[in-house]
Amino acid sequence: MGHHVVRRATHCRRRSRRLGPRARAPRLSVMLAALLVLACGGAPTSGAATARAARTYSLTDTGHLHRTSGRGITINQELSEQGSASGTIPGTIYIHLKVVSVNRVTAQLNIYPSGGSITASASATYRSAGAVASFTGTLSVLHGTGRFSHAHGSGLSFTGTVQRVNDAITVRLSGSMYT
Amino acid sequence: MPRLPAIAALALSALCVLAPNAQATTERASLHASFAPDELGAPTTITFGFDLSTAEGTAPPPLTAMDLRMPAGMGYARTTLGLALCDPAALLARGLAGCPANSRLGYGSARVEVPFGTGAGHEIPEVQALAGPSTTGNTVVLFYANGLYPVAAQLTFAGEVLPDTGPFGSQLLANVPLVTSVPGGPDVSIVHVQATIGPSHLTYYRHSHGRLVAFKPRGVAAPERCPAGGFPFAAHFTFQDGGHASATTTVPCPRPHPRAARHAR
Repeated sequence: MGHHVVRRATHCRRRSRRLGPRARAPRLSVMLAALLVLACGGAPTSGAATARAARTYSLTDTGHLHRTSGRGITINQELSEQGSASGTIPGTIYIHLKVVSVNRVTAQLNIYPSGGSITASASATYRSAGAVASFTGTLSVLHGTGRFSHAHGSGLSFTGTVQRVNDAITVRLSGSMYT
Repeated sequence: MPRLPAIAALALSALCVLAPNAQATTERASLHASFAPDELGAPTTITFGFDLSTAEGTAPPPLTAMDLRMPAGMGYARTTLGLALCDPAALLARGLAGCPANSRLGYGSARVEVPFGTGAGHEIPEVQALAGPSTTGNTVVLFYANGLYPVAAQLTFAGEVLPDTGPFGSQLLANVPLVTSVPGGPDVSIVHVQATIGPSHLTYYRHSHGRLVAFKPRGVAAPERCPAGGFPFAAHFTFQDGGHASATTTVPCPRPHPRAARHAR
């Protein structure tokens, strides 16, 4: 899974820099400094807990999905699908694909790999030609949870096909995601 | 030189007598459309029709292009219309039999007339709409008209479905070829067209466990919300003489579904 690790500045160091210029009253700044010393120096374990490893994931994932039973009036306006993704981050994948015009789709994706989740949105051109429709566009990773809690990224490749007779979707994601 | 205006007037009147059809005409168009079923968000069959004439009540010049605009919010996500594509050459050579059943999108009829004719026109009973191959990525609708008299020919032309803006979500653009009534005769004018795009009266087939199973395709869905005043449709027509005509219509908002109305209370 070729990824690299980068140490980030601790939460406390960033906060102390931000508060410095704002402290106008000398007494208040002294009190805040004391509090910060207590928080950062006095409790080293909590400071250490905020340090985390930033990673870059080079995603190359493929998902195979089937339509889940839709509800309500939007059942004919968008495809709600569930399936499994394989590749860099394998897991359960959900997609809501909306055909917003005759040649454009938008999508919301949720992937649940072990230890967390990733939420993304995508926009793509859409081409329907006979039994198979295809889409090609870009994806942005919006946020995540668990070990992907700081997931972000944009400009990832988002392509796929829809088997129009049964709405089965195959989706391919590739590009860099950062945590 | 008093003689020159008199000569010019004579020449003009002679031109008018010799070529009455060269006079400027004002083309008129009317449009109507409907959804069946007419239910918010439900797969539907779109029926549209138009009538073309001149202000003088005669048949218009031959039609050369049309642009039909459909309301925003139509649902294309789950339609199974056009699961197969029809080859235009096969359509022209063998008619409807040359194309897969799963390429049919709709059907209709047309009425044609000789330009500036005042008769009732001649019915072309068979007009078919089929999904065609695309080179641009846009959906292509092939129109096929099977004429016997006065148009003893099969006519095929293609329209392209493009995205639209504002109150319209898509537009169907088509260049209409000229068709002569008889060899060496004048090109015919289209005075009326009625056509559907949707599953009504269509049967598709799929293979299931080694058997061919018939099924009804799912249509494009009507919009989920109805704008004030109804769903807008518009059409623009271009004629051989360079003239234009436009028409608009609306499909009234459907009544709330009884179950939805009960929930709303």
